[in-house]
Amino acid sequence: MAIVPEFLIKRIYQKGSLKKLDDGASVVLKNVLGPGFISGFNYVKINDTVFEPKDVKFVTNGQELSGIEVSEEHPIAFRLGQSGTLIMSGKSCIIEGINKIVIEAMNPEAGRVELKIEDVA
Amino acid sequence: MNITYDRYSLIIDGERVFIRSGAFHYFRTPGEELARDRFMKMKSGGYNAVDIYFNWNYHSSAPGEYDFSGIKDVRKVLNAAKEAGLFVIARPGPFINAEVNAGGLPFWLLRMEDVVPRNRVGTEYRYSPKYMQYISEWYDHIIPIIKEFDNVILFQIENEYATDTMEEDYMKELYKMVRDRGITCPIFHNDAYFAGLWADCIDIYALDLYPYINPNQNWKQDSFCFDTLDNVEEIFRSAKEDSPPFIAEMQSGWFDKWDGSGYKHIRDALGDEHINIMTKTALSQGVTLFNHYMTVGGTNWGDLACDEVYTSYEFTAPIDEYGVLQNNFYKAKEINYFIDSFGFSCTEPKDIDFYEENIYAKMRHDNSNDCDWLFVRNMNDELKEINLPNGKKATLKPYDMKICPVNLKLKGCEIEFSDVEIFAKLENEKEDAVFMIADKNAKIFIKDGGIIDGDKKDFTNYIFEKDGKKTQIVFLTKNMADRSWLLNNKMIFNADYVLPNGAAAVDKNTEIGYYDLKYKFSKKPCIVNEFKNYSKPEKLKISEIEFCAPEIDSDYDYSSWKTVKDKTDSLSCELYDEFVWYKCKIPDNLTEITLSARHLFAVYINGKEVLNRNSYKLEKLQEVPETISIPLNNKILSKKLNELTILVQNIGFDKGFSGDTNNPRGLVLFETEPKIPVEFKVCEKLSIERSKKYESENPYLTKITAHFDVEFKQNVFFAKYLSLEDFKYRRATIYLNGVKIGRYIKRTHVQEKFYLINEFLKPHNTLEIVVWEKDKNVKSPWGFKFDMKNVKMVIGTEKMYQLFK
Repeated sequence: MAIVPEFLIKRIYQKGSLKKLDDGASVVLKNVLGPGFISGFNYVKINDTVFEPKDVKFVTNGQELSGIEVSEEHPIAFRLGQSGTLIMSGKSCIIEGINKIVIEAMNPEAGRVELKIEDVA
Repeated sequence: MNITYDRYSLIIDGERVFIRSGAFHYFRTPGEELARDRFMKMKSGGYNAVDIYFNWNYHSSAPGEYDFSGIKDVRKVLNAAKEAGLFVIARPGPFINAEVNAGGLPFWLLRMEDVVPRNRVGTEYRYSPKYMQYISEWYDHIIPIIKEFDNVILFQIENEYATDTMEEDYMKELYKMVRDRGITCPIFHNDAYFAGLWADCIDIYALDLYPYINPNQNWKQDSFCFDTLDNVEEIFRSAKEDSPPFIAEMQSGWFDKWDGSGYKHIRDALGDEHINIMTKTALSQGVTLFNHYMTVGGTNWGDLACDEVYTSYEFTAPIDEYGVLQNNFYKAKEINYFIDSFGFSCTEPKDIDFYEENIYAKMRHDNSNDCDWLFVRNMNDELKEINLPNGKKATLKPYDMKICPVNLKLKGCEIEFSDVEIFAKLENEKEDAVFMIADKNAKIFIKDGGIIDGDKKDFTNYIFEKDGKKTQIVFLTKNMADRSWLLNNKMIFNADYVLPNGAAAVDKNTEIGYYDLKYKFSKKPCIVNEFKNYSKPEKLKISEIEFCAPEIDSDYDYSSWKTVKDKTDSLSCELYDEFVWYKCKIPDNLTEITLSARHLFAVYINGKEVLNRNSYKLEKLQEVPETISIPLNNKILSKKLNELTILVQNIGFDKGFSGDTNNPRGLVLFETEPKIPVEFKVCEKLSIERSKKYESENPYLTKITAHFDVEFKQNVFFAKYLSLEDFKYRRATIYLNGVKIGRYIKRTHVQEKFYLINEFLKPHNTLEIVVWEKDKNVKSPWGFKFDMKNVKMVIGTEKMYQLFK
């Protein structure tokens, strides 16, 4: 487990960005920590619904990438100040009121990075 | 010394000082003489401070026991820094990281009950009063020594620390412990997350910045890696408005790991452009305290290394592991001399209306010199002529960065603008001489004095006079600038380096030039004829080949070894050496044994090898545990009671940055099928380190001995190496005069050249290499010994300089 404190990781999540989609949900991430790379999306969990990398898309800088396209061999640059929308599809997952969200991604330097937040859609 | 600070800079005895520091590890560059050599070279390169980690583990082998004698005498190190004219940034942890074993925490501490190293488990904060009690013990020993030196200007507590909930009591307690012990200089912490962490618990907020930490990354292509550095002034101001911007670790190189890409690759990838961009961008962001990490490379001799790194900790530092100056040293020197010449300790950002893709531009107003400095960086892969808002042009090579003076008033003229860079300035009341680095694409605009083209030969000069005062602009080519040295308002030319006492070092016959404002130019010939053959390597004659692991023999008496009470891992057994032996008896009815050991290990039954394995593996920055089963049969278990021997080599504990320092080592798991209780006896170190009696019949560990002489001469610097270039064995441990100086472990990348650390060299030397080889190569002991006679051990001289006073 890499030592990136939870409160710092939470800053990446744009509060209030959780949106209900027809068959899933989306959230917005903004890199306020420092320049770096994302080398994988392990999974996204919203309440009890788990989205595998194949069910996740990351839209940033006009590029749309499937979760399975992002890997150690093909990391994506995530610049300081850069935003991206993470779209989870294929399953309905949003509930009324507070939703629990877990996003687990990989960073080449920090290893596994887990973002745990709560938000209202 | 009275040390205060304001939002611009540190103020020492009432004067603003720009701190140009470099990191040096006394434990990796052992001995007073080596420390002195490296400090003097740092000083000659324009550094005015040295950053020193104090390694708790290096000094304490048991609770309450501290060793500051011999090469561990830090007073001598601090004294050498003082004599070289360097300030000291003291960083005694308790945790230091630095890729040292257990991050610098003593091994004995890791196994203590009720001690939570660093008061955290993973990212969770867990306060441990007993841990604090042991920190008190360390501080009680180290702080009184540090306090003896008035050149200590800054003191760091903890390092790169964070928890999920960021409770402040640990940091506040450390701060109080330091103050209670009489430290009066400003206290800081080094924030690895550049997020303003702990800013309220310390005096000066500081952070570390490493834009290039992945050697597979092309920093030139991914130029956004400088995003944080390009905005660092904002980070400093929002963290702490009233303290000066301080980069406590500013990248000047990077470390290589097991299976890494090698130091040559990293040095080539960084070039001298990286340190140039890092340092000049920091200046453009108002930084007035920086510390190049590392400035001096070192060696992981003994058991210094954490599990990640191999013997060399050369770090692609400006002064390499051998003490030789590298290209990034010359680049750092240019910037340090520039800062030394102009102070640069009280500047403000100034708006400029400029944007161009891949170009970074920043202006600062200099309150002390009443001028502006324009910082321009070209991240394009081609030469760029950049049109600036002031109507001038700056021309930059690819990945270059320049500091351009704007309206700089000199004694006899004013530089309106120049993209020819300033190297150094000498001055007295009536005169100044500004040395500039010739640049065929650049120009100097002199106010009311015309334009000077930058394409010039060495020592081309221009004189300007105004109101009875004089300015001389002197050009130096880049090659000459590298060989030019600023010392006490004088310039010395054509030397490989110059020490603070004025001694010039050269490696061939040279004519040294001197210049000062009073006596102008003078010359001195330096003759070094006797060096002509120094670079010729010498193949050593092997004098002895011996089998040296009697522990594996069936009849070995191990009755005096310690009995394992519960867990077999090395911490639980209180054995902290790299090598740990395990022995026990096992019955012939076992069908299988299962074990997990870290990191390299071999299993011998009745004196025969049944497994030899390297289980060290890192994936996604985490250790990958490995458990392995060995099927047994009556061929292996040939006796009713069989003797089992396991040798485990621990290549280091976790450094504690992203893992826990107390992750177990040694034999971590051992099970039998059917399950029976096993009583192990344990012992640490190889027999050649424990006793003089180590003759054995088994060939698994073999010692090769050779001797060589070294001639020590006054006023001669030399650095020697051992090369194992054609070494065909998998593992070896190298001892120089009984001191373990290196580990050879064959993996995808292997270190083949080892520094013969001067501190351990004598006129007559013994080199021993213990080869730990796999069974398949050692079937016939006689043949194996015969093969070993062909081992090529080559000794060479990396560099040699004669010093002339």
